[in-house]
Amino acid sequence: MRNRRQYWTLVGGLGIAAFLWSIPTLWMLSLSLQPNEILARTTTYTGFGLIPYPFTIENYVNLLSLGNTPRWFFNSLVVATGMTAVTLVLSTTAGYALARIPFRGRGLVFVLILGGLMVPEQVIFIPLYTMFADWDLHNTYTAMIIPRLAVPLGVFLMMQFFRSIPEEVEEAAVLDGAGRWAIFTRIMLPLSIPAITTLAIITFLYAWNDYLWPLVSAQRQEMYTITVGLGSIQSNFAQTEGLGRLMASGVMASLPVIALFIIFQRFVIRGIAMGPTK
Amino acid sequence: MTSITDAGTVTSAPHRMSFYRRHKDVVDGYLFLAPFLAVYIVFLVYPFLKGVWISLHNWNLMAVAFNPDAKEFVGIKNYVRFLWGRDMTWDLTAAWMPRLIVLLTGCAAAYMAMKGQITRRMAFVIGIGVTVVWVLLGFHPGEGGRWYDRRFWPAVSNTFVFVILTVPGVTAIGLALAIALNRETRMMTVYRTVFFLSHVLSVSVVTLIWAFLFNSQRGLLAEVTERLGAEPIVWLTNPDLAMVSIVIATVWWSMGIAMVLFLAGLQGIPSERYEAARLDGAGGWALFRHITLPGLTRTTTLVVVLQTIAHFQVFGQSHLMTQGGPNDATQTVVRHIYQAGFRDSELGEAAAMSMFLFVIMMIFALLQLRISRVED
Repeated sequence: MRNRRQYWTLVGGLGIAAFLWSIPTLWMLSLSLQPNEILARTTTYTGFGLIPYPFTIENYVNLLSLGNTPRWFFNSLVVATGMTAVTLVLSTTAGYALARIPFRGRGLVFVLILGGLMVPEQVIFIPLYTMFADWDLHNTYTAMIIPRLAVPLGVFLMMQFFRSIPEEVEEAAVLDGAGRWAIFTRIMLPLSIPAITTLAIITFLYAWNDYLWPLVSAQRQEMYTITVGLGSIQSNFAQTEGLGRLMASGVMASLPVIALFIIFQRFVIRGIAMGPTK
Repeated sequence: MTSITDAGTVTSAPHRMSFYRRHKDVVDGYLFLAPFLAVYIVFLVYPFLKGVWISLHNWNLMAVAFNPDAKEFVGIKNYVRFLWGRDMTWDLTAAWMPRLIVLLTGCAAAYMAMKGQITRRMAFVIGIGVTVVWVLLGFHPGEGGRWYDRRFWPAVSNTFVFVILTVPGVTAIGLALAIALNRETRMMTVYRTVFFLSHVLSVSVVTLIWAFLFNSQRGLLAEVTERLGAEPIVWLTNPDLAMVSIVIATVWWSMGIAMVLFLAGLQGIPSERYEAARLDGAGGWALFRHITLPGLTRTTTLVVVLQTIAHFQVFGQSHLMTQGGPNDATQTVVRHIYQAGFRDSELGEAAAMSMFLFVIMMIFALLQLRISRVED
């Protein structure tokens, strides 16, 4: 009996904490559903602004018909999808080689790639900028996608996963006369769908939320990603008159990642838990 | 490693095999690696080396864009320009606070070495590092002198302050929530989702929300303080509170990842340990103190190191919420590099400062690798 009461006290206490924790997100959602005339005066009109009354969807209608937000949303979709697709190809092939093909120089290659974990985007964005400027590639999807592909995290994730698959699985296929490519595509890849899903979701989230490199590379407004675009309109003070619309842009920028997270929660959490620890 | 190759090639004699069959593993290995390795070398290794190259030049963004020969080799001048100053002196009491912290770190390492918690070699390396940093921090411009770049060291100091405030906050809340939520019931799963959700938002969404929450005229926090009968607090434009504000927003943003790592860590503690301790009559606090905490030592270290690496590169929060202000109070290292490069067009200096950032990142990354290896 005592344990049960303790449990429900815990549930209640955590419920309050969880509500307080989500206030910032709920507030953004609620403000995006209120008229701009009211928001120009106060952001705490009904129930500290957490209740969208008076209610309007005008902000979303305006968002879709005016301004750059839909375009930025589309850019983010292209960049994040492209980056995810290519990352999957590069990480699975390289991860497989490092995990399962015994070749001369593998240790050296491994160390070389491991060293890449020490070089974050923030260290190399200046030289990267000059490289893409020389090739005249700024303000293109290519420029926004490519530098991220060199991050070796996915390679290690896949390598670890392939190592966990028992070797007998492959040996059986070899006896049946299967070549390496066939083993890779017909046996290893289907077995790694959970790991591949994890990597895909994490890469997509990462690409969607990336800020520094797209900020440096996309100088033309119509090439901004939504993360960069939202940053650019919030620092522009004149825009605060349209606070509702600003918040609606914020909601739009968050919807895909929130949906993706809620649907694929399990994979995201597993990716985090196994990614950096080993 | 594997016996696939043996099984695959054993049927034919070596001299009759084609080149491919004799070197199957090497050829396959590099073929599979080629796509990633090519991208990696061209877009990570090469830019890194090019960064070193740029940092040794007087390299103006505009000038070099119009005329590739407009750069001039200047050796380490760019490094001197942000690290050093005119009429420098050294004394014991300069920058006493960070130096005291550095000394205390050294003492802690010595103590841990004595207790056998870290190896002597590790303690020696830390000792050398601590001494070097302690000595270097004693340098400062003497009378009539000044730093060549007045904004660099304050930006480094701000970044450290940001890290020192954010990391314990994230770690403590993440640990507390993980322990509370470590039960497999439906409600707990829902709560985990709610607490983690803020982590998937992008930096510009986080700053959008928090900039208006903190807004002293129209913000939610101002309204709450007003109803409580107090004057609204000016958060973002107050030099003393601006840093605290972006720390609060950042803790809210990145706590989820710490919570998830701690939950994974908790799952790794065998439940028999708890049962055995309960049989010995241990209560809640004793269980936490003697089983949970020791079981999480590695996870905690990992969380702290990962968070330190992530937050040392802070840029968006400062760039979007406070524009580095007021009065450079929230200027950070990465924002300083960004401005040197893209506002002042001094790519040479910006690249040199990136190398400074790299050295710090490398120290943390090595630490992380060390911790990971201990487990394996």
